[in-house]
Amino acid sequence: MKSESKNLRIAIIGCGKIADQHVFAARRIGGCEVVALCDREVLMARQLGERFGVTACFADAGEMLRLAKPEVVHITTPPQGHYSLAKQCLEAGSHVYLEKPFTVTAPEAEELICLAERRGLKLTAGHNLQFTPEMLEMRRLVKLGFLGGKPVHLESHFSYGLGDASYVGPLLGNRQHWVRQLPGQLLHNILSHGLAKLCEFLDDDQVEVIASAHQSEQLRSLGGAEILDELRVLIRAASGTTAFFCFSTQIKPGRNELRICGPVNSITVDHASGSLIRHENRSYKSYLTFFAPPLVNARQHFRNAWINFKNFLTGKLHQDSGMKELVECFYQSIKNDSAPPLSYREILLTARIMDEIFAQIYKPKPPVSKPSP
Amino acid sequence: MSPNNIISSADRILVTGSNGFIGAKVVEILLEYGFSNVRCFVRPSSKLDRLKQMLAKYPAGKTAEIVAGDLLSREDCQKAADGVSVIYHLAAGMEKSFAGAFMNSALTTRNLMDAFLEHGRPARFVNVSSFTVYSNLKMERGALLDETCALEDNAQERFDAYCFGKLKQEELVRQYGEKRKLPYVILRPGAVFGPGKKALSGRVGIDTFGFFIHLGGENQLPLTFVDNCADAIVLAGLKPGVDGEIFNVVDDDLISSGEFLSAYKRKVKPFFSVRVPFFVANAMCSLWEQYSKRSQGQLPPVFNRRRAAAEWKGNRFSNQKLHERLGWKPRVNMEQAMNAFLAQYESRTP
Repeated sequence: MKSESKNLRIAIIGCGKIADQHVFAARRIGGCEVVALCDREVLMARQLGERFGVTACFADAGEMLRLAKPEVVHITTPPQGHYSLAKQCLEAGSHVYLEKPFTVTAPEAEELICLAERRGLKLTAGHNLQFTPEMLEMRRLVKLGFLGGKPVHLESHFSYGLGDASYVGPLLGNRQHWVRQLPGQLLHNILSHGLAKLCEFLDDDQVEVIASAHQSEQLRSLGGAEILDELRVLIRAASGTTAFFCFSTQIKPGRNELRICGPVNSITVDHASGSLIRHENRSYKSYLTFFAPPLVNARQHFRNAWINFKNFLTGKLHQDSGMKELVECFYQSIKNDSAPPLSYREILLTARIMDEIFAQIYKPKPPVSKPSP
Repeated sequence: MSPNNIISSADRILVTGSNGFIGAKVVEILLEYGFSNVRCFVRPSSKLDRLKQMLAKYPAGKTAEIVAGDLLSREDCQKAADGVSVIYHLAAGMEKSFAGAFMNSALTTRNLMDAFLEHGRPARFVNVSSFTVYSNLKMERGALLDETCALEDNAQERFDAYCFGKLKQEELVRQYGEKRKLPYVILRPGAVFGPGKKALSGRVGIDTFGFFIHLGGENQLPLTFVDNCADAIVLAGLKPGVDGEIFNVVDDDLISSGEFLSAYKRKVKPFFSVRVPFFVANAMCSLWEQYSKRSQGQLPPVFNRRRAAAEWKGNRFSNQKLHERLGWKPRVNMEQAMNAFLAQYESRTP
């Protein structure tokens, strides 16, 4: 369904912390206008509206869809509301941007995607780290054939510090906190960023997953109850590509990286420093093998710093550039009726792997058999 | 205890944020005054050792209740406000995001006021706000900042989520006062200091760039020692005839930023600091703000003219209203307060 209007009419459902970033992204893009805000707690919608000059504030999503008639709705509520709200928006004829995690379960994701396709509408997930400048460069190199073939192995590291008391405090102190109600708890709300990077290159819909998780000493000392925060996952696609995923609250300095190993060359993308390193399969004579590669790497690090510095000077190094790029690509796909920026296959595979991980690490303990009398 | 108080010693009092820096002191002073029915509201994740030790020191502490909950939950607010005559509302979220600050300051306060009106016996709602709500952007340097001065009208531009949360909180309290006849008093403490809080006030300066930039110069600091501040808060909940009033809370004999920094360096540790005059700080903040706008937020506007004015422009402060209407007198004079503040650094474990 091609959008006819000049400015895309945008609405946001869920006016919590992340909603600000969505409004900022929409403002920087241009060609769109945030026309309505909705939150079950209407005061939350009003506080956002007051700061960004949006007067149409609603407590009811149905009323908002009926009166404001948005072309695109960003859903930034806790994940438990994603499925029903997205369904409501799609049924009302709006395209939907769903914050991560896309839905609570993979079957919900499948249903939404089917519904969007039936209605000729588009969906995307808030996997914004897929669209940072270094990830775009990585994708460009992969398309150019730098790897020398299909990826052989992938590694994704994702770190998350427990130091943010404003988030971790309420989460640990309240068993009813929405994060605690998710099947994967703390992991559920964060994992998809790191997993989606792997799913992009896993070319099978069915993959073998082996997950193992435990609770860190730090989380235990904070009173983390049953929450798990150290996760390792091995993934194997039927085609032979393998992947390793590591989520950690303990590794310091935090790692937020993707390494793609091809049959000829490999690439490392580091989000923390916004850099990309190419690992080229070159051989050096004798002791040069100890001198040349570090210098080649040093040159690449220098180049990364120079690119970032240039981007900073030209105002292109925003900390949320991934979100802006993703939102912009999504809006373009709506305007041009082209494929959305994230493939539905990638969104679904991410959801399925997450379901499998949580089933394995939070599986119910076998009942203790009572001795027969 | 004064016989003119609006409540008796047996009436139930609720203190939110009672495990915090000021809240614990408020509870202590209430117990000291002989109030025997104090309910301490704490976050479920709070470590309560210090509060429990303090309660154990007073006979009235034995009958004090500790209630854990979340003020975003109406059910928890009902539990907290049930049968209460006076609420001292000190709980505050130190959130960096505007939405988070609004949620933890304004929504929680709305929930608590609703519960108080429905399930309490409302005699007084004491809302503890902050000096941060003022804007001195249009005031002359050194002008007197009192309760009649203008409030910040663009917290977003000041990039101050805490200020936004507190402004919205006050707005709601005033609305409840007008529309639902909630008897309230608002207190706006300045920079609260004392043992238990080691960080230097941002009004003195910042160490963001790896060394200490002294921005406060010879500006008077709106200091209030924690015991004095807590006493003012307690009195605001007890004195008759002050409903709907707003009080700034600062101590007598205020010292300057330079005096504060010198005392700190003398007693705690000498360190390198660079003094930057206000006109330079203001110009730098202005440049930062313009760049932030031009680059569409590539650099967040953490430094801007509104913040520069609020923190480093320099004003004089008055506690005349506090003295006259609440009969407040500082429990601790400035010299003793500074000694107590600086003494905490001596008790460092080797």
